[in-house]
Amino acid sequence: MVLAFAPILAGAARAHLDSSDRYTHGSCPARTENRVDPINVVFHSWGTWGRAVSQIESHLGWTTTSGTSQSFVEHGKCQSLHAQRASGHGTRFHVRLRGQHPDGALGWTTTAAAHHEDLVLFPPCGHAVDESGPGGSGFDQARDELRARFAGAGHATSAVWWGNTQSFKQCDGDYAGSDGWAVFIELHQVNHS
Amino acid sequence: MNPLRVLLAAIGLALAGCGAVQEDVREAGGDAGAPRGGITLAEARAFSEFPLVYAGESVLGYPLGAILRREDTVRYVSFIYGDCEPAALEGGCAPPIEIQVWPSGARNLGSYGETAPRSAWGSPALEPTTVRGLPAAYVGDDQLELYAGTSTVVVFSASRARGLAVAARLRCLREDARAPPARLAC
Repeated sequence: MVLAFAPILAGAARAHLDSSDRYTHGSCPARTENRVDPINVVFHSWGTWGRAVSQIESHLGWTTTSGTSQSFVEHGKCQSLHAQRASGHGTRFHVRLRGQHPDGALGWTTTAAAHHEDLVLFPPCGHAVDESGPGGSGFDQARDELRARFAGAGHATSAVWWGNTQSFKQCDGDYAGSDGWAVFIELHQVNHS
Repeated sequence: MNPLRVLLAAIGLALAGCGAVQEDVREAGGDAGAPRGGITLAEARAFSEFPLVYAGESVLGYPLGAILRREDTVRYVSFIYGDCEPAALEGGCAPPIEIQVWPSGARNLGSYGETAPRSAWGSPALEPTTVRGLPAAYVGDDQLELYAGTSTVVVFSASRARGLAVAARLRCLREDARAPPARLAC
């Protein structure tokens, strides 16, 4: 049994957080042309996607699961998200998550693309990420909301420059982009009920 | 029009008829297709906070479609070339070519990995190079950064070849020479 799992464990030990593609994609294979959102949050330590979802629901109350699917790339593999959570159905905060390989220093990791989006009805459109504001773009606002609420609950957080500032045209014709900072949030082992 | 958007419009009209549209639902009409944060080429030419470069009024067959000025948590001016169509209901799309110009104090080669050891925190790997006599770096294949003195120029495109082709056409916006100079210095 141990021998059977040895290759998997060895692979995990060699793995690391892959930040070579710092965007989500509308479909696979991932191409520059089908990028959709910047990745701006990394959950780590006990950062499995299930724990990330549990603690997002607990600390922020984002329990809505509606939203379209997107894909994440890790070590060359393009795969669909594991989960998404939002603060409602209309104008809302929204985050998509994908669990990644464990990292030698960071432990279990999940990458996430968070944003605040407006529901635009006239003309018919859908959800559009905020272009800009005192708190930055909708991408920055949601990332900072996650950071603030997790920090308020005692989680360690930090920010790392990722430089993924490409602009994305929204359905209302505006452009929105990240300010280039990714927030790292440490998760604990115990889930919330 | 996409059927999903037709459905959304019907829902919107129904809600409006009932007077039940949420207060925070934003109307996007009246923009005539221009991004709200956009500036004109004349306004960009008058910009003096840091030197701006761009690739002319079209590059590689893509017309200059928008100029964005961001000044909130970060400061930069962005030149968008070409257009794209966002998916229905959710999600943005990446324009074919974007040139962002940042003040070098806010974005430079030292920005990557300056906050923590790169290996520990997953800061993206850089590949240093030289482009048009300037220190530069690739961040993946689709992001080329040129460190041009007081400005940092970031080119987003689909490939290294395309990024280099755009970089070869960069020129100072205020001078707006017909032919890009051999060495980019504004």
